[in-house]
Amino acid sequence: MKTLGTRSVLDGLRQQGSLKALFPRITGGPCQAIMVNTAGGITGGDRFELSATAGTGAALTLSTQASERAYAAQPGETGRLTTRLRAEAGATLNWLPQETILFDRSALHRRLEVELATDARLLICEPLVFGRAAMGETLRDAWFRDRIAIRRAGAPLYTDATQLSGDIAARLARPAVADGAGAMAQVVLVAPEAEAQLDPVRDILRGTLPESAGASLIGADVLAIRMLAPESHLLRRALIPVLTRLSRAPLPRCWTI
Amino acid sequence: MTTEAHLLTLQQWLSPAFPVGAFAYAHGLEAAVQDGRLPNVAALRGWLEDVLEDGAGRSDAILLTLAWKAESPEALATLDTEARALAPSAGRMKETALQGAAFAKAMRDVWGHDLSDLTYPVALGAAARAEGIAAPLTATLYLQAFAGNLVSAAIRLGVTGQTGGQRLLAGIAPLCQSIAAEAGAATLDDIGSQAYLSDIASMRHDTLHSRIFRT
Repeated sequence: MKTLGTRSVLDGLRQQGSLKALFPRITGGPCQAIMVNTAGGITGGDRFELSATAGTGAALTLSTQASERAYAAQPGETGRLTTRLRAEAGATLNWLPQETILFDRSALHRRLEVELATDARLLICEPLVFGRAAMGETLRDAWFRDRIAIRRAGAPLYTDATQLSGDIAARLARPAVADGAGAMAQVVLVAPEAEAQLDPVRDILRGTLPESAGASLIGADVLAIRMLAPESHLLRRALIPVLTRLSRAPLPRCWTI
Repeated sequence: MTTEAHLLTLQQWLSPAFPVGAFAYAHGLEAAVQDGRLPNVAALRGWLEDVLEDGAGRSDAILLTLAWKAESPEALATLDTEARALAPSAGRMKETALQGAAFAKAMRDVWGHDLSDLTYPVALGAAARAEGIAAPLTATLYLQAFAGNLVSAAIRLGVTGQTGGQRLLAGIAPLCQSIAAEAGAATLDDIGSQAYLSDIASMRHDTLHSRIFRT
């Protein structure tokens, strides 16, 4: 994305395989790119790579058209999903995919790498659902490795790493892990107003997930939020007001329908 | 080879009396108690096992071991930046940064090591290397001291008594050994922290109306 006058417009697009991008027409706010996985999900041996850059002064919101599904994989085969994002000087980047749903016997190695210029703004949200609750599915044998690494001006700013394998449901039942929660989200805001957003976000969380969510100002302009919910709908319901507030713009339509 | 001198040094560094101020940090335990998550000593044991295996315990053991192996001050500084980025909350950043700075100051003032203000596990790993103390032993005793500090906090919070606390600590000693041993071959990519509710409790600490701990 680059800027054209006061608008952010597409500067280049290259797509290959089953990952496509849609660009809905919207008035006002950041340019939106909605990713579509035409394969319908990820399974063992799949390789997905996505790179996007918000150029100097540009504003870009990335989301996904549907929840991502990590399907059962053949033993020993791992699906890989690597996303590399860049926000250049004065740019705004919102990474707001819908849930990733881990199926039983799935194996997913995921990485999200974000490079920020000193004065770039970032909002990321990664919702994760552990098994299809509606189908009574729990994760008795699955493998999941995830890393979110945000760097600013080349230096590590925020890293979140998860490693779950085997009987994940039993792990999630542990008291200091998830106490049986079926869905989890990590939200990070890097912006000058991060401190001012801390109390309003905590007020929202008190109303939506009063006992299983927290927000904290880790650095002067870095706000981190962690949420656990019994299942994906409750997580989504709790995320929408938080993301609406932090993104300072209407959420992509896929979030609200 | 571990000598008695090494054990004496480690015992001093990791004693609750060592001036890093460990007693002030509860790693989210106080919020967990107020949220009703730790009704008894059995719940406390489960919580501490998770913090060791799935949370800061294992991550810190890996950071400590990597710091021990670092071959230059630059490598140590790079590792330290990675360690700071891993802090999941303001409280946890305080714990690792302030205890680390206090530990490094003691290393400079008393042992004469040229150690800058690193995060706690990174500073400890570097100091152990400088004293010729083995990394696995340092990590094992670090984990026990970390757990011991949380048990003391739990006693002050009324979750358990002295006897229950010591029984718990004796019971999780083998876990400290196995985590430290595994950390021996780990890289930064092997760090994973999924003690989500421990992280959330640490975030919620700042919102408690009355509190006796800093974190």
